[in-house]
Amino acid sequence: MTVHLTRRYGFAASHRLHSPRLTDEENRETYGKCDNPHGHGHNYEVELTVRGTVDPVTGRVVDLALLDDLAERRILAPFRYRNLNEEVAVFRTIVPTTENLGLEVDRRLREAWPETFGRGGPHLEKVRIRETDRNICDIEGSAGDLVAGVRCQEP
Amino acid sequence: MVISKKVEFSASHICRSAQLTDAENERVYGAAANPLGHGHNYVVEVAIEGQPDPVTGMILDLKRLRDILEDKVLTVYDHRLLNREVEPFCDVGTSVVPTVENIAIDIWNRVAPCINGQARLYSVKVHETNELFVEYRGLR
Repeated sequence: MTVHLTRRYGFAASHRLHSPRLTDEENRETYGKCDNPHGHGHNYEVELTVRGTVDPVTGRVVDLALLDDLAERRILAPFRYRNLNEEVAVFRTIVPTTENLGLEVDRRLREAWPETFGRGGPHLEKVRIRETDRNICDIEGSAGDLVAGVRCQEP
Repeated sequence: MVISKKVEFSASHICRSAQLTDAENERVYGAAANPLGHGHNYVVEVAIEGQPDPVTGMILDLKRLRDILEDKVLTVYDHRLLNREVEPFCDVGTSVVPTVENIAIDIWNRVAPCINGQARLYSVKVHETNELFVEYRGLR
């Protein structure tokens, strides 16, 4: 029987929304106060939904210790208490909107997914990133599309 | 009787004291000492104490309270780097670190003078994360 399990993580970080492909005026119009040159920050929440069958021995869909370790290594440790624009390489050229942050989280997880869980293991169904209670982005889809999705936004 | 109103803002900060060495700052504040800053969604709860007015049935005009919080808290704090853009955390030469404790005290100092009449400011709570918040009830 297929089951979806969702695990929630959090990290605090700062960012600035400013595209090098827009003029200063266009950036202000597009991003409003999020374009503040000094940046601002959020308590981000990341929800990972994993799909799979329940292991008859463990009663689990996914080994949570492995999932936690993957999230810590690939997402939380590199993003926690960071200035995303300055300290996460991809956001030097890509605007760290909720959408792009979600795509990058998804890309990082999928990159390490096979070596973590092996063939026939659980499937990463959805990445949800919550910037505030009112600003939430869901990423669902295949790895290839998402990587292209990130890259096509580079200047 | 106490009535409370909640507002939220997003801001970034750097927890470093000019009176401490780099090593001491990193020991005291940990990852929050990152000189490039990081940020939070802050939730502020302002509590007002008083008795309901016999005519209006209200402790304080809530539209006025909303305007006070907009002018004194959100306009000042929302989408700001506190160390660069908000006094007293950006004052050159002083060392008020924008910890959640000092943010609560600063918000109290900004809001308290605006609450007049029969009502008075009772407490300011500031939540920095879901797991951490402070409450300040003024000098007492």
